[in-house]
Amino acid sequence: MSTETLPKDDALSQLVLRDQDHECEGFGPSKVCVRVVAVAALPTRFGPFRIVAFWNNRDGKEHVALVHGDVVGGAEVPVRLHSECLTGDVMGSLRCDCRDQLTEGLAAIRREQRGVLLYLRQEGRGIGLINKIRAYALQEQGLDTVEANLALGFRDDERDYAVAAHMLWSLQLRSIRLITNNPEKMRQLTQHGVNVAGRIPHVIPPNEHNRFYLETKARRSGHFIDLAELAPLAEAPRLMEQSDPVVVEGMPEPLPGK
Amino acid sequence: MPSVPELARVPVLVVGAGVSGLSCARALATAGRSPPVLDRARGVGGRCATRRVEDHPMDFGVTFLHGRDPEFLTALREVEATALPSWPTQVRGTGRPCQPAALSPAETRVAWTEGVSAFPRQLARGLELWLGANAARLEARAGGVAVRLENGAALEAATVVLAMAAEQLDGLLATLESEPELAAARAVLGLSRSEPCLALLALYPKDVPLPEWQLCLPEDSKVLQLASNESSKRRMPGPAVVYQAQAAWSRAHAEDRGWPRALLEEAGRVLGPWAAAPRIADAHRWDFARNGLAAELAGPMLLPLRGGGRVGLCGDRFGRGGGVEGAWLSGRALARRIVDEGS
Repeated sequence: MSTETLPKDDALSQLVLRDQDHECEGFGPSKVCVRVVAVAALPTRFGPFRIVAFWNNRDGKEHVALVHGDVVGGAEVPVRLHSECLTGDVMGSLRCDCRDQLTEGLAAIRREQRGVLLYLRQEGRGIGLINKIRAYALQEQGLDTVEANLALGFRDDERDYAVAAHMLWSLQLRSIRLITNNPEKMRQLTQHGVNVAGRIPHVIPPNEHNRFYLETKARRSGHFIDLAELAPLAEAPRLMEQSDPVVVEGMPEPLPGK
Repeated sequence: MPSVPELARVPVLVVGAGVSGLSCARALATAGRSPPVLDRARGVGGRCATRRVEDHPMDFGVTFLHGRDPEFLTALREVEATALPSWPTQVRGTGRPCQPAALSPAETRVAWTEGVSAFPRQLARGLELWLGANAARLEARAGGVAVRLENGAALEAATVVLAMAAEQLDGLLATLESEPELAAARAVLGLSRSEPCLALLALYPKDVPLPEWQLCLPEDSKVLQLASNESSKRRMPGPAVVYQAQAAWSRAHAEDRGWPRALLEEAGRVLGPWAAAPRIADAHRWDFARNGLAAELAGPMLLPLRGGGRVGLCGDRFGRGGGVEGAWLSGRALARRIVDEGS
């Protein structure tokens, strides 16, 4: 175990007792309510964290937060939202950049004094993963249209930020700095009552699998990369999973406000 | 029906007056784009179906409604009919309901004495309905899509909404000349099959005691999926039960003329000998009754055609959760997209 031992009854562990009977009106149109149900130390290859498990009243998904440092009651806490992607996060798939975005998210938080990564199990209801693989199969058959992918829940940019907003509220974060390249995410969270004090760009280090992003022609600033343009350069056709465009160190970054 | 073969173009036209089509039309009407709604049947509601047997209503498709979306629940409360809140409360058996969440405590349930068709009838109020109008094919036009009816008449719209089961949607999309968006949509529809259901509406002699349960879900029958005690929803002279067969059994026996007898025999085995001897039994075959869990899509589709027209797709497959709630939500989501995405 790491040398960062924390008292058993610190502010984070006390949230479990606090939430035992928690029941509020819920966030967002589906009125989702979450409870902190368990907290434990989680030493990882990316550094030591505390892992916070949440229950929610809408479905069986078990969302978690990885916490670095002392965040309860904090202001301007760096926060990264990551949507679960089994193929990327776990299997190292080259059809998306999720693993790089996840590991960089954890590293970014560790570089700061404190921070939170919300790991949202949104590949959900058991249909998300099946439909994603269906989307990959259709892509291989050349049937990769915007509508087909939307129908399969792929590239669904209207993720449910209500759950994330409630999780941040449960952690008593007074305000956050959101680690993202998508200013729209900041707006969505703000609409759900999160105090978003600022944005930290999310830049991933170049490696042999994402280097091709650097090789594209000059982009108009403020516009996200058109993955179709990059298709011939990539090892495998990709789809954008995180609703957060990939920015590799060395690329000009999309300007905020776009 | 007008006698001229071609009519003036409308901005939106809805084909299918089931819950998803009516929900879409209603949401569009609220946004100021009141679309005509077509259906080949003589009444609205599709699978949310109530039939009068000896002048008593019986629900033989959807047997009760359930959901948790706040807007859907509001729509249910607005139905002007005699509600049976939380129906069914007396459930016999531990078999699987049609949607896994249907009997969960977090779900709100309701049925109506007048029958579940009270819901689509409420949705249809104030809408322009063309019933008995069977859409045979679609034709792409400049800036729109025409729906050619069986009788030869054609209605044209900038956006046509198709609100029906996946296989029926595919049938209509197949009448258009292929283009990438259509091919992709048909590929998505082809990813799963709808499940059929053979149903029987049975009336029993008045000396047969009324069952104590409202809904029965046998846990160990490969034949019978559910039995709905329709006589628990309204006063009837004797027991009245709707039986619905399991999907796999329905698929295997759809063409077998003896299926009603076989279904009644199973009812007798599960419920008691009285169940196998109704005095009247009306049979109904639903070819596309419902979707399996793995068939659910994330939301409705709005396909832009090369010629400028658009085809919208909604129905119980086009949203997570399925069922009547899923259908209703998909119709609204599609209406929102049609309005937000121009035309």
